[in-house]
Amino acid sequence: MTIDLAPNHKAGLVLANPVMPAAGCFGLGTEYARLVEVEALGALVVGPLTAHPRRGAESPRLVLTPGGVLLHTGLANPGLSAALRRYARAWARSPVPVIVHVAGTAPDEVASCCQRLSGLEAIAGLELGLPDTGDPDEATAIIQAAHASASQPLIVRLPLVWADALCQAAVEAGADALTVAAPPRGTAWYAPGNHFVTGRLYGPFVLPLALRALRRVAALVSIPLVGCGGVHTVEHARTFLRAGAAAVQIDGAIWRDPACLAHVARSLRI
Amino acid sequence: MVQAGALITDIGTSGPFVRVTFAAPAMASGLAAGRFVLADLGGYLRAPLFPARIEAEEFDVLISPRHAAAALQPGANVDLIGPLGRGFEIPAATERLLLVASTNYLPVLLPLAYQNQQKPGSAASLREKPGFSDGFSIALLLSASTAAELYPVRLLPPAVEVTIVTADGSAGQRGSMLDLFPDLVRWADCACIADDPATYPALAEIVRDVRAGSGRRFAQALVVPPVACGVGACQGCAVSVVRGTKLACTDGPVFDLLELR
Repeated sequence: MTIDLAPNHKAGLVLANPVMPAAGCFGLGTEYARLVEVEALGALVVGPLTAHPRRGAESPRLVLTPGGVLLHTGLANPGLSAALRRYARAWARSPVPVIVHVAGTAPDEVASCCQRLSGLEAIAGLELGLPDTGDPDEATAIIQAAHASASQPLIVRLPLVWADALCQAAVEAGADALTVAAPPRGTAWYAPGNHFVTGRLYGPFVLPLALRALRRVAALVSIPLVGCGGVHTVEHARTFLRAGAAAVQIDGAIWRDPACLAHVARSLRI
Repeated sequence: MVQAGALITDIGTSGPFVRVTFAAPAMASGLAAGRFVLADLGGYLRAPLFPARIEAEEFDVLISPRHAAAALQPGANVDLIGPLGRGFEIPAATERLLLVASTNYLPVLLPLAYQNQQKPGSAASLREKPGFSDGFSIALLLSASTAAELYPVRLLPPAVEVTIVTADGSAGQRGSMLDLFPDLVRWADCACIADDPATYPALAEIVRDVRAGSGRRFAQALVVPPVACGVGACQGCAVSVVRGTKLACTDGPVFDLLELR
């Protein structure tokens, strides 16, 4: 038995298992090669990537928060061309489908990235991040740009706060599936530097927030949903599936326990 | 690099530190000064642990009594990921090695201090590498606020020439490591530093002044920001360098002192 995350797409996006890492937590696909049993997973989600290299945020990028961590990378990545040079062969050899996460910066840049990735057999699907502004026009323009440029199935990762507000627009703009949701943003005090840091929040406390968003989205759209946010145990993942998700992404839990990816995947074998 | 359980075989004290011995055959031989393991000690992120003594199948860490690992008991099993990072790289032709640390950071440098001790079963020593002469010598510049905070010199290898500086003059010379660093760095042909990174700009300035034209990695310094993944996946442990940013977990945590910003 398998899961198709893009049943309405000509290529489909068929997974043998509902568990995959979340974008931003797994690198570009080879970093965890010696620590994760990739073949147990449903897919790899690599990235985020942008059209051009990004140096990313200055240090500190990581601040401990109550119950979790705040991470602000500033989308640090080598850029799409360099990533393809360094990683495309590894993606082609992957025993499970590879989904590339494209950062939804602006329609032109997203279109450029998706055109470049279009038709590459090593890449089974694209996941598109969206700005956290919640502007439906901006989100629609970015999704349409990706949809028009990509040949692969398109998963749109919704901002947590705006998930229910944007989900229908995302479907109308061409999303084949939705990831619910991107990690929420927060702010933490960085005492050694005497300043605040704003970034994405990771930890088990995100799970109830993401579950609420997923249930609301599930009531509004009928395309496959991927639950993401705060999954640290098999039971957490099962809860997402009960709430209507077809698949589950694991985010910050990977850092503490890379083996949890395969453990959760085996426990949820279809 | 592996993720594996390590048995705590012994716990004791070493000066102001708690000493924890990990039996970790899968990773001990890959450790070196400045390389590290990430230990699951119950926090949301793993804690980086740096070896202070490395043997073929086990290693010691020296930690503050307030560190989470200080509460471990012999017989406990701790999940580790490692070995990780790039440690101190001592050029094979080195004859005069300078170690610089305040007491809190000293344990990271101890494997280097013991490199010229012939210890059965220990990891490869510098002397086993071609190019090291019998004249190989090690100097340690050790600083603390006051004598009571110092790591006891009697616990250091006898062959290490120790220079102590305390802020209040209660032991060694009165002042800061910056006062004594210029003369020692003139003497050295490699310097390994582990301290609060806030001191690094001043140390770098001294290296530029007194060792202008020194080769890359003449002076190497440890930088340990919080680390999440340890493998370069999360991009969280950024360190600002002259030409951008690098990651402590994969590019470091030991960097060329002159490269740091």
